[in-house]
Amino acid sequence: MSTTATPAAEAGAPLTGGVARHRTALIGGAALVALLLGTVLLGGGGWPAHFAVDLSGPMGDTSDWITDNRDSHPLFLYFFGHISNVVVLSVRAVYLVLLAIGWAGVTAAAGLVAGCLAGLRPALTAVSAFALCGLLGMWVPTMQTLALMVVAVAASVLLGAVLGLAAGLSGRVHRALRPVLDTMQVLPAFAYLLPVVLVFGIGVPAAVLATVVYAAPPMARLTALGLRGADAGVMEAAASLGATGRQRLLTARLPLARKELLLGVNQSIMMALSMAVIASVIGAGGLGDRVYQALASVDVGAALAAGVPVVLLAVVLDRVTGAAGERIGAAPARGTGLGWAVAAAGTVAVALVGRCTDRLSWPDAWTVDIAGPVNSAVDWMTAHLYSGIPVVGGTADWAARFTTWVLDPLRDGLQWLPWWAVLLLVGVVAQLIGSWRTALTAVLAMAAIGVLGVWDPALDTLSQVLAAVAVTLLAGVAIGVVAARSPRLERVLRPVLDVFQTMPQFVYLIPVVALFGVGRAPATAAAVVYALPAVVRITAQGMRAVDPVAMESSRSLGATGWQQLRQVQLPLARPALLLAVNQGVVLVLAVVIIGGLVGGGALGYEVVFGLAQGDLATGLVAGAAIVCLGLMLDRVTQPVGRESRDA
Amino acid sequence: MRRRAIAAAAAFALPVLTGCGAADMTKQSSPYADAHGARTVTLSVQSWVGAQANAAVAQYLLKHELGYRVDTVQIDEVPAWDALSQGRVDAILEDWGHPEQEQRYVADKKTIAPGGELGVTGHIGWFVPKYFADAEPDVTDWKNLDKYAGLLRTAESGGKGQLLDGSPSYVTNDKALVRNLDLDYQVVFSGSEAAQITQIKQFAKEKKPFLTYWYKPQWLFEQVPMTEVKLPAYKEGCDADPEKVACAYPHTPLRKFLNARFADGGGRAAEFLKKFHWTTEAQNEVALMIADRKLSPEEAAERWVRKNESTWRAWLPD
Amino acid sequence: MNTEPPAPSGPSVPSGPPVFSVRELWKVFGPKADRVPADPDLAALGPAALRERTGCTAAVRDVSFDVRKGEVFVVMGLSGSGKSTLVRCLTRLIEPTSGSIAIDGEDVLSMDASRLRQLRRHRAAMVFQHFGLLPHRSVLDNVAYGLEIQGIARAERRERAAEFVTKVGLEGMEHRRPAQLSGGQQQRVGLARALAVDPEVLLFDEPFSALDPLIRRDMQEEVVRLHGEEGRTMVFITHDLGEALKLGDRIALMRGGRIVQLGTPEQIVGAPADDYVRDFVRDVPREQVMTVRSAMRPAGPAETDSGPALAPDATVHEAIEAVVRSGGTARVVEDGRCLGVVGHADLLGVVAGLAPRTEAA
Repeated sequence: MSTTATPAAEAGAPLTGGVARHRTALIGGAALVALLLGTVLLGGGGWPAHFAVDLSGPMGDTSDWITDNRDSHPLFLYFFGHISNVVVLSVRAVYLVLLAIGWAGVTAAAGLVAGCLAGLRPALTAVSAFALCGLLGMWVPTMQTLALMVVAVAASVLLGAVLGLAAGLSGRVHRALRPVLDTMQVLPAFAYLLPVVLVFGIGVPAAVLATVVYAAPPMARLTALGLRGADAGVMEAAASLGATGRQRLLTARLPLARKELLLGVNQSIMMALSMAVIASVIGAGGLGDRVYQALASVDVGAALAAGVPVVLLAVVLDRVTGAAGERIGAAPARGTGLGWAVAAAGTVAVALVGRCTDRLSWPDAWTVDIAGPVNSAVDWMTAHLYSGIPVVGGTADWAARFTTWVLDPLRDGLQWLPWWAVLLLVGVVAQLIGSWRTALTAVLAMAAIGVLGVWDPALDTLSQVLAAVAVTLLAGVAIGVVAARSPRLERVLRPVLDVFQTMPQFVYLIPVVALFGVGRAPATAAAVVYALPAVVRITAQGMRAVDPVAMESSRSLGATGWQQLRQVQLPLARPALLLAVNQGVVLVLAVVIIGGLVGGGALGYEVVFGLAQGDLATGLVAGAAIVCLGLMLDRVTQPVGRESRDA
Repeated sequence: MRRRAIAAAAAFALPVLTGCGAADMTKQSSPYADAHGARTVTLSVQSWVGAQANAAVAQYLLKHELGYRVDTVQIDEVPAWDALSQGRVDAILEDWGHPEQEQRYVADKKTIAPGGELGVTGHIGWFVPKYFADAEPDVTDWKNLDKYAGLLRTAESGGKGQLLDGSPSYVTNDKALVRNLDLDYQVVFSGSEAAQITQIKQFAKEKKPFLTYWYKPQWLFEQVPMTEVKLPAYKEGCDADPEKVACAYPHTPLRKFLNARFADGGGRAAEFLKKFHWTTEAQNEVALMIADRKLSPEEAAERWVRKNESTWRAWLPD
Repeated sequence: MNTEPPAPSGPSVPSGPPVFSVRELWKVFGPKADRVPADPDLAALGPAALRERTGCTAAVRDVSFDVRKGEVFVVMGLSGSGKSTLVRCLTRLIEPTSGSIAIDGEDVLSMDASRLRQLRRHRAAMVFQHFGLLPHRSVLDNVAYGLEIQGIARAERRERAAEFVTKVGLEGMEHRRPAQLSGGQQQRVGLARALAVDPEVLLFDEPFSALDPLIRRDMQEEVVRLHGEEGRTMVFITHDLGEALKLGDRIALMRGGRIVQLGTPEQIVGAPADDYVRDFVRDVPREQVMTVRSAMRPAGPAETDSGPALAPDATVHEAIEAVVRSGGTARVVEDGRCLGVVGHADLLGVVAGLAPRTEAA
């Protein structure tokens, strides 16, 4: 696109627009023909029963076989058993160390490590965060979660690095691994739980492994990205000096990819933390379990007391790894060895003082009960906001209206559509946004849902996702556009977005139940809140990245602000907007599924049901359907040239 | 060559790390157990408040009277059996009857030992609020339910009346019941008990009629008085086939189960848990403090323990 | 065309055994690249036709030359002429498709991996257009990088690296990171890194193209100085004719993968092999490149004793000054013997590009 002047831009527009229109017309025509053919040949109705496969029998048998053989079959005794053992031993080891250092030692260590890695401010954040965890009376659960996290993150980073290394060095491995990693990235965390539970049973090993499976892909992706993206000039220089393959890897390729590697660690930590909470459903214990227990008794205050430390851990780890990443390549680290020595000595000293004064456990007297006040506040809110407010109505009324006027028609409409029409629709939309390949994958994934025999619940979930995505995009793009234009608003918004983005998905469920009651409306509301920050951020970035020359030239031609937005900014930010849609869809799906815990029903409920009843057949089928749905939604919203996702 | 060597090394590393030979993961306890030199008991707490009350009192007494460290883990009912058999939890204090699991773990594998009765009798049923039953007395018979379907319609139930169900983990035959009794109702699952209670409270505040799956003992009755709807009478074995159920839920004496190894080697803690036995009223008292007055479970337990020493003295091992 | 190694040895060209000896070298990119050099029909095709028939691109086509010990051998051409590919073929950073390369008589193409590493580690070091420095290392460690690869202990390699940091004029910057240096300074690091391994040949791949003109001139002078001090053999790739003429003892001019002319700067400027080369050198200030050797005519009887004396490799530019000052002709004298004379007409003829004397071609 020309950047010189609007006339040039306009000269270009009819050309590309013409092609696009042509393409649209073509696809539309083909769709129409298919629609007519379908009506004549296939008739209407939901997914035909004879195309569906009932997997509950074989899956139930498998599940029974595993439960019966877990203590006797060699596969479990000599393989899974050892894995489980290693996990338990390592988590235990870390946990014992944390307890042995005592609260003062852990807090000091956190501060000193953060200081060495990232500087003074992150160090202060770390110290106050850990102190706050203690103040909230959550010290022991925090340590349990931390122990689990340390092991899970270490394993994820290791596994991810190994996979990424293979993919980074071998083109063939990369081609094989990439679609798998791409797919895993769009899967809701919930879908990972069941297979792991099936093998390992409820408990910490299952939780750790589910977390590893969830958190390793970003590390692998970024490692591969970093290794493949190594500056070719530097690599050639190393080769020209006669470096062996190993020397090239160790002295050039890996160090060059340090930024990506660190970003991978950061991403792994964030994913692991959000999973550590969700994994409480399968017995992870720790903070997540406290949130889960509080959720069960509608104790918003207690849930918050357990949720806040999770958020604090997330913020601290994010800040420290982020700041460490930014430090790379800057001034040479001077006296790092000394810094680490001081950190180690300081920790030992504080821990010893703690030991000698017998102050290892967080003193009970030093806790603050926030549950009471929070609950009164929530009670007040539900009492005053929930319903009966004149004119606007209460939140419950909104929820009911949203359910009646948006969710119901959408769900009924989708379920009313003949199954082939749904497939056609999916294919056409995917084709319009992406390519033939994405369309094919999307249609196949959707068809797989029908074959699994969960067509109706999947469409129910889909309707919730669509409604939530629509709301998210309306709100997110609007906020994003405004934020891109007003630096002041952006400054205010930024920390809020940061915090929202690091919060585990689970935490969103508590307040929405209080405000919107039970049902699909709160599930969609939680999804909107969770996905909004990413959409706002991507939109704002995209709008700001619009070529200033194009903006200036349009201004010089006397365009009004609205004209600029409509004619220059939005068209030029199209890739960013599409990315926002894609991310929004993926994030919304993740929470809509978890919404099964607050009455969202559909696939999410079936997974919860499968876990709760030990009816893994139901749960696994629903899990597989979620995988397909996620794949479909991702591909449908996949703009051509997915490289932008890597950025 | 080198690659193979690395693979071989990796294959050996696992067993070496965890000790040679077989590793039976069904005999691994929680990594958080027994830390700090204190003996730890891990209790499974189900998501409902009654179960929290049991656990809270047991935890308080184990900690303050017997000197144990107590971890609680919230696990749904069925997986809890699996966790119990693996020793990841030591005891379930309130089981509502899972014959299939009992057969597998207690009779066949002998990894779980019965721990006696809790002293509380549980009963599941369909309930309407008292204000609704007072206004329309005939709603308490299932035969008349269809008459009120229109009144009980909500956004979630579509054109039918709403039967509010709870957490997916609870024992329920409601879908089959609605089908087999040919009722004009839609079962709406709230996904968790918390969500269900929130909903019931909101209905009650506005004095709206509703029909819900609910169970006794439950503290919520103190706040929202409810009347049970009569279903076709329960007869032994009428709920044998979950697809063909067309009768009410039974009255179940709630029972305790212990991990078999813990039951034998758990010392005073195991003995205490076996003796733990209280009444519906006592459980409700603690549950109400937790759920309604928002006391922390520990605080609620402490208050109850202070008032009822004679009761719990009998539970302590000699 | 001038593809056979030409014998002429201008007085300024050091002679000696060839360091690199390249014969009939081809590099073809694309599917089944081997068949292109092997098949005379294909080999004769132009780039477009070749691409259409085989899907291949020939970056280097049938190139032969020798690089003599101690000379600065410049390969010059526009972008896409294959010069960068050619220099990478010398140490097999790019594997040639066919032909032969020998270094000091040893066949490069038949070397096994470890022998090839020895070649790259000790015998030929390269300086790159975009420097290829490791961003996470200090200047000192970047310079020591080649030594590190050779397995030299840390203390020793740092000591030696420090020496070369000084040599290229970067004292005091040992502990900076590449990102903290200017482009010229970064290229000095690249140069020091190549020098530090004490290679027999230095390969330069457009080392100064990314630099500002003033810094480029400094760097060129640096190279001239280093060559003067050490007399190291250099192969220098550039697209800048001025740079080629300034640095090169001999220049190979490439176009479309072939060498269109190979000779001394004077030969290239004075006797372009074809219209392409002629067009290329048209704007060159000829008086700066041409020497009186090619401008002189046999001395008339009266001219052998009078007039100022000039060396045969004096430029026309210098001769003009002498001739204008004397008002008559100047003598070209070598070893006390008068080779010929130059007068106004001869010198003006060179500047105007008229009637090049064929004596030197």
